[in-house]
Amino acid sequence: MLRILSFRRYYLFLFLLSGFYSTSFAQIIKGKIFDAGTGEPLTGATVKIYQGDFKASTPAKLDGSYAFKGLHAGTYKIKANFVGYLDSKEYELTVKNTTGDLTLNILLQNSSSQLNEVTITGQAGKQTDRSARSLEQSSNSVENILSQNTIQLLPDVTVGDALQRVSGVTIQRSNTGEGRYAIIRGMDQRYNTTLVNGIQIPSPDDKYRFVPMDIFPSELLERLEVIKTLTPSMEGDAIGGTMNLVMKSAPDHFLLNVNAAAGYSFLFSDRPFSAFGHSGINDKSPAEMYGNDYTATYKDFTTSNLNYHNLSAPVNSQYGLTIGDRFLNNKLGVILSASYQNFYRGSNSDYLVPNPQPVSNGTTGNLPFFSDALSRQYSTQTSLTGINNKIDYVFNSKNKISLYNFYLHQDEYQTRITADTILGIQSAGGVKQVNEEYRSETTKQSIYNGTLKGEHQLTNALHLTWTGVYSIAKRDVPDMATYTVENDLHLNSAGAVTKIDSSALSMDRRWQHNSDKDLTGYLDLIYNTHIANHDVEFSFGGLYRHKTRTEYDNDYSLQPSPIGVIQPFTTIDNAQFGFLNTNAGMGSINTISLNDYTATENINSEYLQFKFNLLEKLQVLGGLRAENTWDNYNTTAGITVNERSGTISYLDILPSLHFKYELSDDQNLRLSYYEAISRPGFGDLVPTNQPGEYFNLEGNPNLKPTTADNYDFRYELFPGGADQFLLGAFYKDLQNPIEYFTANTVGATQVIQPQNTNQAINYGLEALFTKYFGSFGFSANYTYTHSSVTTSKRYYNADGTASTVQQTRPLQGQADNVGNISFLYKNTKIGLDIQLAYVYTGERIAQVSPYYDLDYWDRPNGQLDFSFEKTIFKHFSFYGKVNNLTNAANSVFLKYPYQDLEQKLSAQDVKNETQVEKDLYKISFLGGLRYKF
Amino acid sequence: MKKILLPIFLIIVAISFFGCKKWDTIHSNVYTYLPPPASPISDAAPLSGNIKGTMLSGKTYILGADVYVLPTDTLIIQPGVTVYATNQAGIIVEGTFISLGTQANPNWLTVQGIIKISTPGIAPASDPAYAGTWKGILATASCKLMVIKWTHIEFTGAAYGPTVAAAVGLTATNNYSVIFQNYNGCFIMEDSWFYGSTNDCVHIYSGKIDIMRNTFEKAGPSDGDCINVAGGTVGTMAYNMFIGTASNGQRVANKNIPVGAPQTNIVMYNSTFVNGGFLQIQVGHGGSVSFEQGAKGMYYNNAVVNCKYGYRVGVNPTPDTANLKYGNNYQYADSLSVANQFYPVGYLAKPQPTDIPAPSTYLPANYTLGATYNGAPVIQQNNPLFVNYPLPVTGGIPLDGIRYIGNFNFHLQAQSPLIGKGNTTIQPLVVVPIDKVYGATEITPPGKDLGCYQVDGTGNQH
Repeated sequence: MLRILSFRRYYLFLFLLSGFYSTSFAQIIKGKIFDAGTGEPLTGATVKIYQGDFKASTPAKLDGSYAFKGLHAGTYKIKANFVGYLDSKEYELTVKNTTGDLTLNILLQNSSSQLNEVTITGQAGKQTDRSARSLEQSSNSVENILSQNTIQLLPDVTVGDALQRVSGVTIQRSNTGEGRYAIIRGMDQRYNTTLVNGIQIPSPDDKYRFVPMDIFPSELLERLEVIKTLTPSMEGDAIGGTMNLVMKSAPDHFLLNVNAAAGYSFLFSDRPFSAFGHSGINDKSPAEMYGNDYTATYKDFTTSNLNYHNLSAPVNSQYGLTIGDRFLNNKLGVILSASYQNFYRGSNSDYLVPNPQPVSNGTTGNLPFFSDALSRQYSTQTSLTGINNKIDYVFNSKNKISLYNFYLHQDEYQTRITADTILGIQSAGGVKQVNEEYRSETTKQSIYNGTLKGEHQLTNALHLTWTGVYSIAKRDVPDMATYTVENDLHLNSAGAVTKIDSSALSMDRRWQHNSDKDLTGYLDLIYNTHIANHDVEFSFGGLYRHKTRTEYDNDYSLQPSPIGVIQPFTTIDNAQFGFLNTNAGMGSINTISLNDYTATENINSEYLQFKFNLLEKLQVLGGLRAENTWDNYNTTAGITVNERSGTISYLDILPSLHFKYELSDDQNLRLSYYEAISRPGFGDLVPTNQPGEYFNLEGNPNLKPTTADNYDFRYELFPGGADQFLLGAFYKDLQNPIEYFTANTVGATQVIQPQNTNQAINYGLEALFTKYFGSFGFSANYTYTHSSVTTSKRYYNADGTASTVQQTRPLQGQADNVGNISFLYKNTKIGLDIQLAYVYTGERIAQVSPYYDLDYWDRPNGQLDFSFEKTIFKHFSFYGKVNNLTNAANSVFLKYPYQDLEQKLSAQDVKNETQVEKDLYKISFLGGLRYKF
Repeated sequence: MKKILLPIFLIIVAISFFGCKKWDTIHSNVYTYLPPPASPISDAAPLSGNIKGTMLSGKTYILGADVYVLPTDTLIIQPGVTVYATNQAGIIVEGTFISLGTQANPNWLTVQGIIKISTPGIAPASDPAYAGTWKGILATASCKLMVIKWTHIEFTGAAYGPTVAAAVGLTATNNYSVIFQNYNGCFIMEDSWFYGSTNDCVHIYSGKIDIMRNTFEKAGPSDGDCINVAGGTVGTMAYNMFIGTASNGQRVANKNIPVGAPQTNIVMYNSTFVNGGFLQIQVGHGGSVSFEQGAKGMYYNNAVVNCKYGYRVGVNPTPDTANLKYGNNYQYADSLSVANQFYPVGYLAKPQPTDIPAPSTYLPANYTLGATYNGAPVIQQNNPLFVNYPLPVTGGIPLDGIRYIGNFNFHLQAQSPLIGKGNTTIQPLVVVPIDKVYGATEITPPGKDLGCYQVDGTGNQH
């Protein structure tokens, strides 16, 4: 209780600070406008006042409040109206000189509330924050929700970026700075799942199950839910949490929303955007075109995608369209929304590449050492198309059917230009080697999902829902082309370059594609009954999923031709490359290899769940879920090869129990326990051998799924409006967590392999606070996380031998301190919304090293973004988003004093650390028009 | 008294015995159980799949596809056997491999019908030596013993492909000709010939080694060392002859050391390196001897003639320089570019007074390690006087033009400045068993003449 009391004091303090709480000499009529059904404040509703010739009107503010000041004594008539609501009746109030403030709260009736009662509860005003709060409050599990209104105003254009605004979520960025994966409460993306409208979707990723979140345009969303506890009716593979993307559903009335915007990244004011030709790219490798026995020659490869041209000041664009209506006496609802984004992004990055093995100076071992200094420029054009369509048909109040389709397609064209200074060659007074590497990568990713769902109230007590789903995710990387030029810089004794010899060094062409197809059926039954004076809701049901996955990977390595002759380099079109021998001309797969596999997964799961109020205020929800997994993979490697195929199956029984105690109408206490699993991805399971940054990565068919016991406690306060205060704690105990190890083979090259470790724990505290004061709003969240896992690592001894030692460290990607602060200003009178958002992510492990104490860490990072929207005419508004106002850099470091290194490194500023990577993205902005009907 | 005399006598004998054989204590003759040879292998049909047993003297065998020697199996090749590889086959050794050629009856592991080209300056692309026609002999981590005696290994270097790559734990594009990867196992290569490869001829990931009195020609078309050893390799390399190597003749590092393996420690002496390093297209690599990243050991009594880089002591990261000893090494240069890299610029090789030419005759007094210097005074000085190899090379043949021995003869004439300059006080590092079948036949101690051919007839026997 102490916590609550002190909170209230704080609350009051802020209230006073805001100046909102003012006493007056009367002559004021004020109040709030609410939805009669949900109690949601109706921001923007118009309130009109009359007295004879006197007329005035005002819009309701963010918290639904309005006020008319300086009124003379007399009797006034007051009326309120709002789009989508029936007009209020006319109220009469009499103002007297002697009286104080008069308060009039008005409830408006939703014009389509008749229908809403038939459809899913919570339909009304579903895009608003208030409805998000009421969903959080009434939910069976611990959730955080961003509403459509919040998302629309956010500075973010993809779900990947929007996720960082959610309490307890940090994001992993792509190499050009967009948020790609979510880490929920310190749990890596492998422990989280993505749902669309409650349906798990496959990933286009080439190795893993998790879905890149930057493929979802945030415009298509009705709300974004992050669910942090699991009930038996939910799929059990979310140890960290589940991201549920609820897409727009059919509206209650005609809806048209159009927006178009243009923008620019200041990165390309300093340097041009480097683009390559897309037209000549072969979709298929020579082996796919002519058969695996085909010996390719240099003529089979184009150089059109290795010729670069500069784009100066490329313009980013974003277009959105949503159209929806109800037909046939409101029985048929249709919505279609589409989004197109074309963004030019980039980054300038400096890296130090660690030597695969540390060094010894004779007395001290395991000293970090760097083999290369890289300076990289990324230029990435991403065009993203999203289409979302939902049709629902309400037969009657007891039967409803809906068909839902979405299709996302992302084309990414990335140019990577690297200057690689070879540190392994002494430059003093001799020759310095700086290789230039050019890489053109085209990535086409798509996800399609089609869902047919029926809901039937069979009897008063029995409700049935069935769902059939077809989903397919694909990724295609045709002809990732790379070539390297060696530049030998001849230096004089003063270190000045006297001569540069450039020669062709190597070329590489790679074709990779994969697909992941799901066929899923769900059946859920809800039965309401009465046992021993308690209303009890039983749910039972299950799902069956059949997943098929394919993977193809072929790599061609070329050398300057003729072989053994140094070939001066002029242009890529003049350069001549060829294969060392006919065998090399067949690529990395001259027969179908381990890297080329098909895999099948069948999952069936069943659950039984009960929900009842043990006490009047205490809801108990619990039950059991059984998940049966059967995995099979097949490569056609020779019969002598171990692990060429495999079948793995496992059964998990996942119990859960959730208590929700209503302290009062606006306060809840929650206590939850659930068990969850995380299945290894096929990239981890199938023993493929794929080249990695420093080591080859090899799959491990002996991986076990990770299981975790999760405990959650949360206090929730929903004082009204969009305001909220949440305070929670969590504890997770993971068995068989998957971490990467240097495989300790007797000889050969070292490979990194995913393996199970015994145990890891992860616990923390979460706090979230949102408060609106009239036109101003303030929202903050903070999460403290602590995790710990012990893994074996190598140590390079002073005497030149290696040993194995144990090291305890946080889980990769987990930051101790994560927080968001945002300020909002909303003036409905002039139609202006402004948001300033700051996100902070503390220090965390970016890359686990196979060597003791040599992990790469991300420096703490704070980013400030700004966005606004201003109504300019009726239905028209102008909006803008500015990202990374402070030009915050992403910086990676090694916890080792740079001043103690044997190598002299440039760009070092922080004492007792060694900076090994720095990425700059610069400021970018987007401005556009929105039309809403 | 007699009772006392006898123990005293025995003690004296024991002391002198141990005293004389002081370095014997570093021998390790670890007994390795080997099952007796199985039944003879038939030469009736091309071989493929799992094989074991003995290839019989005088017979010719065909490798029709990859062959595997399983972990508990042994393949013994008797003297005078010819094995022709077809279909880019390889010999994957999970058990034991022993090729017992003799001087009179060497073994041949080669490809039928390829004619060796001995034309100066031929482009590697036109030379079948670099075609990579079969894979070679590839030991997995379970192979404990590989013995190669008096054996010709030719035209290797085909890429492993996925199946073999998976079997040996490497990648499909890997193309080293002979690999070994067990730091508890022994790799012995004696008196053998290596002709042509597409990358490294002998790549030791870790192991106990003895590589002595071999000849390497035409190693690698654009990259590739003759002998390249990584972390956890210990032993001796001596009396080897290298000509026309793409990169280094003998390269040593303590890279990727497996847990439990000893630090790489290689003793090198009395090898000859001719025309090495020119096909390596990357600057700063290749030539003769290279000690790198954390390795220790020594190199003495070697001869380097017209190699792109001289003896290299690496940097970034450095070898274990505190435990790296060298001296009595000879170099010869036809041209200034070679003479200017006798002590490779930017690296750490410390000039030794016993080096030939004497550093004092051309290095500046204030010479610092890795600095540039003017090698003009030593161009074409100290001609080694090989029996049949004209120096300076004339007839417009480029420095890297001769990558074969052919009719040349690198034995020393009686007036050669290499004679008698060797350091014979150093000791070989013997870590393999001495055995006519299951070990090294002979450990030749350091010789008094520099290079691999001794005027007294010892050393390299080719």
